[in-house]
Amino acid sequence: MTVPDRHPSLDAVSVSLGYHDRTIVDHLSLSIPAGQVTAIVGANACGKSTLLRGLARLITPTSGAVLLDGQDIARLPTRAVAARLGILPQQPSAPDGLTVADLVGRGRHPHQRWFRQWSAADAAAVEEALAVTGISELGDRLVDELSGGQRQRAWIALALAQGAPLMLLDEPTTFLDLAHQVEVLDLLADLNDRDGRTIVMVLHDLNLACRYADHLVAMGCGTIVAEGRPTDIVDAELVAQVFGLDCRVLPDPLTGTPMVVPVPTRRRQNVAGRGDPAAAGDAAEFVSAGNA
Amino acid sequence: MTVATHALSRRRGDCMVTVHTRSFGITARVHVRAVAVTTMLSAAALAVFVWSLTIGDFPIGLADVIATLRGTGTSEHEFIVRTLRLPRGLTGLAVGAAFGLSGAIFQRLANNQLASPDIIGVNAGAAVAAVFAIVVVHASGPAVTAAALVGATVTAIATYLLAYRRGVTGYRLILVGIGVAAVLNALVQYFLTRAEIYDAQQAVVWLTGSLNGRSWDDLRPIAVTLAVVTPIVIVVARQLRALELGDDAARGLGVRVERSRAVLLLAGVALAAVATAAAGPIGFVALIAPQITRQLVGGRSLGLLPAAAGGALLVVAADLVARRIFAPTELPVGVVTAVLGAPYLLYLIARSSRGLTRG
Repeated sequence: MTVPDRHPSLDAVSVSLGYHDRTIVDHLSLSIPAGQVTAIVGANACGKSTLLRGLARLITPTSGAVLLDGQDIARLPTRAVAARLGILPQQPSAPDGLTVADLVGRGRHPHQRWFRQWSAADAAAVEEALAVTGISELGDRLVDELSGGQRQRAWIALALAQGAPLMLLDEPTTFLDLAHQVEVLDLLADLNDRDGRTIVMVLHDLNLACRYADHLVAMGCGTIVAEGRPTDIVDAELVAQVFGLDCRVLPDPLTGTPMVVPVPTRRRQNVAGRGDPAAAGDAAEFVSAGNA
Repeated sequence: MTVATHALSRRRGDCMVTVHTRSFGITARVHVRAVAVTTMLSAAALAVFVWSLTIGDFPIGLADVIATLRGTGTSEHEFIVRTLRLPRGLTGLAVGAAFGLSGAIFQRLANNQLASPDIIGVNAGAAVAAVFAIVVVHASGPAVTAAALVGATVTAIATYLLAYRRGVTGYRLILVGIGVAAVLNALVQYFLTRAEIYDAQQAVVWLTGSLNGRSWDDLRPIAVTLAVVTPIVIVVARQLRALELGDDAARGLGVRVERSRAVLLLAGVALAAVATAAAGPIGFVALIAPQITRQLVGGRSLGLLPAAAGGALLVVAADLVARRIFAPTELPVGVVTAVLGAPYLLYLIARSSRGLTRG
């Protein structure tokens, strides 16, 4: 696999992004820190996926520009971009009957030509991508047969085989159970550790984002509300502003990163109290344990 | 030439092989089973084709057929083989290959088994124009062919534009195509009710799809189209592998999605249009051939060339049946493909609601 020899820079300069005539991201500027893990968080429909799609040149800005190494990404040949920037779309789908090795092999597309469809370098890149993502033994399996976590690993392996030092992932943990979410995020953190690969991902879970991100971008209504190290920026006020949620922010007992604990609402307490006294007791115990 | 097996992907004799030709500097990656299936289907199509040259109201032995093809036959055989049976058989092969390839392109592009040119209105577009030419303008021969070609192309462009909303997705293309096909078929019915009885009869035979009386003039356009379009498709097929992963993933891999898709769609339309012009809208070939060959090849290959070989076999075999089953009366080949194809379509719809809803 081509180990990234340098870190390409990715910047949004006053970009506006939208679909049809609706502007979703409005004059937003952002510099992605090279060699770090950046997580974009925010409420539903705040424009976080739209921003990621804009950064990945999947949608063209209506104003402003996305710069890859200082050059307008919309004007660069898309194949040249593909060698530097890999993406994992939200809920990607593979055609029926495709094996894992075939899927990962398609990540080599930017390195191939019609007259040179497969090389030793391609085979080596696929093998290494499978090994790094821990799915070497699944190469011959059909993609349809994999579990959700394995399938996501296969798609990450595809982006790895592409050999781009910069990876953008749109909600890579959606529809995975908690154990598989952690598994996928651990894998991405490992990739970042191994060779300083720059990773940008949209995440739903704020606590996991705080754990795994070096740089957190909190979005609301198409603009950046705050960005920085999770420990520096995440507090109850920010969560209230971004998610409209009343919460306490405690240090994660295992990592020390911010951990958001929602304040129980009155309605929930009432429901528990009315229905089942034992459940209400459990809930009270849980809250006191959380506070301790 | 060197051949190397990709060690990772060996599965039930189902492996990818890298073929390197030093003289041209070309490295191709081929799927062994796809090559085997294509070879077998082509051989079978060729065998049926040669057999069909011997069969008819005037049977000619295989040795005489071969002698005639080599130019040493009797003048009687010369006329029957070279003027009557050979162009008909070759047109059958070419039309079948074109429908099969066209259907495979559409189905893979849309990731949907129902997205073949006979379902989404391309063939109907050709039919409307041809029936209009026959019934209203009283045209025949090359004029009908030209009209069919124009009709299919205009329909395809109109369908594409109607389905276009910041790009075209397979699902929308199918729904719009089915709607367009319904309108066009209504138009065909309208023309037929207005027609003189003789014209209407001629139009109905053409509409069923028939190879009866095909001459060298009918063969030429479809042969040229195949010769031009097939190499283009083979080169652009590489982009199709990325397109299959979805538009976003394909863009991420550096594919110019809209342009690649437009080239593939145009290739599929040209094949279907010219094939329809040559032999009428022979039903279900574009729908069935890619799917049956896909069952044989598996999902690892795009299955474009296997579908072409399968389409050729399907049409020459169906035409042989159509010629002989009620001999001396000949059925149009489209009757036989419909008898085979309609139940298959029902089976397809019943088996997988998935195929209908995926887009």
